Parts: sequence; C-alpha cells; structure tokens
Amino acid sequence: MSGSPILEFIQQTINGLTLGSIYALIAIGYTMVYGIIGMINFAHGEIYMIGAYVGLLVITALGLFGVDSISLILLITLAISILVTGSYGWVVERLAYRPLRGSPRLVPLISAIGVSIFLQNYVQLGQGARDVSMQPVLAGGWRFGPEDGFQIYLSYMQVLIAVITVVSMTVLTLFISRSRMGRACRACSQDRTMANLLGIDTNRVIALTFVLGAALAAVAGVLVSMYYGLVNPFIGFIAGLKAFTAAVLGGIGSIPGAMLGGVILGLAESFASAYLRTEYKDVVAFVLLIGVLLVRPTGLLGRPDVEKV
Amino acid sequence: MNTFSRNILSAAVGAIVLVSGGVVYAADTVKIAIVGPITGPVAQYGDMQMIGAQMAVEQINAKGGINGKKLEAVLMDDVCEPKQAVAIANQIINDKIKFVDGHLCSGSTQPASKLYEEEGILMITPAATNPAITQQGYQMVFRTIGTDDQQGPTAGKYIVEKVKPKKLAIIHDKQQYGEGIAKEVKKTVEAAGIKPVLFEGVNKGQTDFSALITKMKKEGVDFVYYGGYHPELGLLLRQSREQGFDAKYMGPEGVGNKDISAIAGPASEGLLVTLPADFSTNPANADLVKAFKDKGQDPSGPFVMPSYSAVQIIADAIQGAKTEDPVKLAAYIHKNSFETPIGKVAFKDNGDLKEFEFVIFEWHADATKTPVK
Repeated sequence: MSGSPILEFIQQTINGLTLGSIYALIAIGYTMVYGIIGMINFAHGEIYMIGAYVGLLVITALGLFGVDSISLILLITLAISILVTGSYGWVVERLAYRPLRGSPRLVPLISAIGVSIFLQNYVQLGQGARDVSMQPVLAGGWRFGPEDGFQIYLSYMQVLIAVITVVSMTVLTLFISRSRMGRACRACSQDRTMANLLGIDTNRVIALTFVLGAALAAVAGVLVSMYYGLVNPFIGFIAGLKAFTAAVLGGIGSIPGAMLGGVILGLAESFASAYLRTEYKDVVAFVLLIGVLLVRPTGLLGRPDVEKV
Repeated sequence: MNTFSRNILSAAVGAIVLVSGGVVYAADTVKIAIVGPITGPVAQYGDMQMIGAQMAVEQINAKGGINGKKLEAVLMDDVCEPKQAVAIANQIINDKIKFVDGHLCSGSTQPASKLYEEEGILMITPAATNPAITQQGYQMVFRTIGTDDQQGPTAGKYIVEKVKPKKLAIIHDKQQYGEGIAKEVKKTVEAAGIKPVLFEGVNKGQTDFSALITKMKKEGVDFVYYGGYHPELGLLLRQSREQGFDAKYMGPEGVGNKDISAIAGPASEGLLVTLPADFSTNPANADLVKAFKDKGQDPSGPFVMPSYSAVQIIADAIQGAKTEDPVKLAAYIHKNSFETPIGKVAFKDNGDLKEFEFVIFEWHADATKTPVK
C-alpha cells in the first residue's frame, strides 16, 4: 500500500502545525521579555519544564481521585499549572533579574543561565532525574481517507492543542492591545525610561511580563505532558532552544512574530523529516533561520531596531 | 575576612583533611568502582548493574572476602554522558581505585576505557556492546556481555528468516550504541537480499516522531528495527499506534526495560527485543536468584548477572593470581576461565567473551517478556 502524496502532505502539515503550536506558545515568553527589557531569558525553557511537571503531577493526582471528565481535568490542570509556573516566573524575575536592573546587559544574561542550571538541578533533586511517564488522558481521533489505503489521522489531542493555542494567543493579543496593563506594557516596550517618568510602575510591568510568559509556557507544558506523556528535568533545554529560534525567526520582540516563527519552524521540521531525511530536520530549521536573518536581520515581523542587540 | 570566619574555615579544612585521610588510610579493602547511570533517562539500566555488583560484593564478603580483605563497592554516576564518563574516570585514577565494573553505555565506555588502559586500571563492562570498544588493542578492557556484531546478526537473521518483511525500516538514535547496532542489522539483512526502504536517525531526547511515522506509513513499512534506548522507542511506538501505523517493531537490549511499557502502554505489546539469555531462569543460579528476591530485587534484568559476574571475575582473579596488580590480573584473566552466573566464561585476546548468546524475546504490555523461537 503506497499512499497518496496529497494525503501525506496534509498529514505532515497537521504534524507540523501541532509541533509549531507548542513552539509558538513557548516562544511568546522569550519575545515578550525581550520586547520589554531587551534581555534574553535563558531560564524560560526550564519554566516550561516546570509547567510540564506540574501538569503531569496534577493529571496523575486527578486520576487517583477518580476525576475522568476531560474538560474538568484540563481546566484544573491548566489552572494549577499556570498558577504554580507563573509564580516561578515571578520569583525568578524578583530574585535573579530585578536586583540587576541597570547593570550591563551581559550580567542578567549570565544570571539567566545560572537560574536555568539551578532550576534543572532543583527539579532533578525534587522529582528525580528519571523520565516520568503517563498514559494518554485523551486518546483517539478522526480518520479520513480510503479504508484500504493511507488514512489521514487527526487526533483529538492535536485539535485540542491547536484550539488552546489559538485561544491563548487571542487572549494575550487582546490583553496587550486593549487593557490598561497591556497599554503600559507597550509603553514600556517603546521607551522604558519615558514610561517610568509618566507614572507607569515599570517594575510591575516587567514582573507581569515574566508571569504572562511563564503562564503560556505552563499551557505548553501541560499540553506536552498530555500529548507525549513523558517529561524529565532536561526537556526544557531543547524546547527552549527551538522556541528561542522560533522567536528570532519571527522577529524577537514581536508577539505575532513568535506565533508565525513557531508555526514555520514546526512545519519546516515536519517537511524536512518527510521529504528529506529525519537527520536533516534541525539542519533545515536552522538554515531557514540563517537565511531569514541574512535577508531580514530583525526576523520576519521584527521592527528594525538597531540599538538593541 | 575576620578572625572568626577564618577560624571556621581552617576548622573546616582540617575536618576535610581528617575525613579524607581517614578513608585513605583506615580502609584495608579492595575497592571496585561501579560506574553507570545512577541518574538520567537510562538510570534503570544502572540499577540493574548496581544491584548485580552489590550482591556480588556482599556474597564475596560474606565468604570472608579476598585473601582476608573485604571488597568495597564505590558507586559512581556517569549519567551515560561521554563527558561525565571521562570526569569519573579521572576521579577513579585520582582516588587510586584499581578495578572498574562499568561503564554501561557504549558512548561513555569508549572514552573512559582509553584512560583506564593508559593508567593500568582493570575495567570490565557488563553492558557496553559496541564492537569498537574492544577493537582498540587494549589489554585492560574486558566485557561480560556480547557485542553488537553478535546481537545485530541475531536480530537480522530473525528478520530475514522468520519475519520476512515486505518493507523494512531501520531507525536509530545516532548514538554509538544505537547507530552501531542498526548498521549491523542493516548489513545482515542486506546480505540476505532485503534492502531497507528507510535507514534514518532521530535525535536523542526527541519527543515528536509524527513526521517520521507518517513517512513510514506512506511507504507501507511493515517492520521497523530501532537501534537505541527505550525513551525514544516508547514514544515512537505510542505515536505509531495512535496514527494507525501498525508495523511490528524490534529493538536491542537497550529498549528491554519495564519503562518501555510505562511509556508506550498497550503499544509495547508484541515488541521484539534481543536480550542476553535470561540467566535468572537457569537452575544453576537458583540460590542467587533467591538472594535477590529476598532483598526485593529483580534478578531478570539483562545487566544484573553480567555485572555480578564482572565483580566476581575480578575477585576470583585476585584470589587466583595472588596479586592486586591490575596489569598482572588482566594477563591472568586473559589466560583463565571463570565459573560465573552467566556460565563458564573465557575471554578472547581483545577482551570480548569467547561465547555469548542473545535470545529474542517478545515484550508484553504488562512489562513481562517471553522467549520467542
């Protein structure tokens, strides 16, 4: 049985979009922090890892209590994970970055790397260094295509990931463009000193940025533990690297750019695996990144801004 | 620094000197370093190695030790990382430990073995199967397990003779162990005229295999050989079944671990695994198996008995050769044969076992296994 190329293409697109959604959710955290304080938060991958751990633990605990309604599981898990992971985001900003505000740019960067190493080891000590796994909570999906040939498979989980990603992104975009706090965020992003002079509490805005980024990373973490069902203290590194790439690809500092970058990266990996060789998926992803940066140094949707490097 | 903290500091330094001094001089023991992954994604295999080695140490000491000295196991964690393995090897050299039961992963064993050879430390790995480790012309390096060029052909022959797949895919994790064994399988099946439609590598730590699975599904692959460890294969199996790709999978002993069922769940049913024969079912080992079970340990893991044997061979050699000089012991081990739980073993000049048998098992969703044949 050899499958139809069109059906295969559709399936690969679905695969890529699912992967891309996760990258996009994590990428937002990088891009928001960069947009406002011009710093790369290298501990963000670890924040996502904590979100995934909390997600897995809560889902397992709910299973023990006999909760089996999927929407209830999802709501409770998301709520708890966002709360816990958000507070980690806040604490990290408070302890590791705020005291360094105003120091040369390299200093908070080193601090971020320190936090990343700390969190990895902290989870390793608390939860053990081994893989923690869980069986899927939401199994099954739809199949399309000929009964005896290649069938497209779209799992409920993939749809759920896409829906939750779109909803989170919409809420975030509305928040940034419509709310008072969002306006303060945009003001800080344009000129932090000026915003401060005009009476905006910039420290609060920055803390909020970290919490929001962490909350979206928590959403990604919960979705990943539901979808793949495997977490360990080291998943933050690769995921963080990919999401950072997505953020740079889309134009770091730009929220729609992070979404676009994530989706493009996911699709690129998926198509490279499909039509070249699996070994080349990262090669293609990074060649794409270099290519885009050569033509548009600020990324696809980034504002030309030479001063912040 | 004020006087007070300076005093504290010197007291602390003094205490460290005292403690470490105590270890070096008070102990009249024969130390064996047991090196494997105690943490990290493949720590389960480290467990097997550790319980095997510790049991051997305990039983040898219970019989009075070696030449009146007690054996002492020093557990060390290399996380199966080549870099960490080199750091550990240096630590062993600095601590003047002369015997090593380890390492476990081929990728970490290879760089460490170079240091042991140079420093004259006797190393027996109970688990690293990559052939390259014993092809370096070393005298100090042995293993109590078969090699991929024995295991690969066993798997390959089974695929050719019993499975007869229409379309075979071979996937590996690009690591020394995984890719090495995948190549051996490829060589064997190609010699028999089966050309794999796919031979590709995934990343260690990769979680999403959907694109690869879609590709195999489209190609109509009906049998997949995976060279690597269980975390990746577990996810690969689970995502395959989800996408409705129901080819049969086969893997080497690196996937034969209870965790594969924890990760893949029902998808692990029917997985084929090449493993060393299950020494715990050998009647000659009944007492030993009972000793493990009394401690609540599982003796059936593939590396438990090889690790036990590694320690025992070192102890027997010291007793037989009446020396603790690792270089003389290596020569002694090359020349003699030993009665161990994995059978009567003798070594080739390169340190490989003269004989070692791999058996094919079928894995079940409840993490049990039954021999095929």
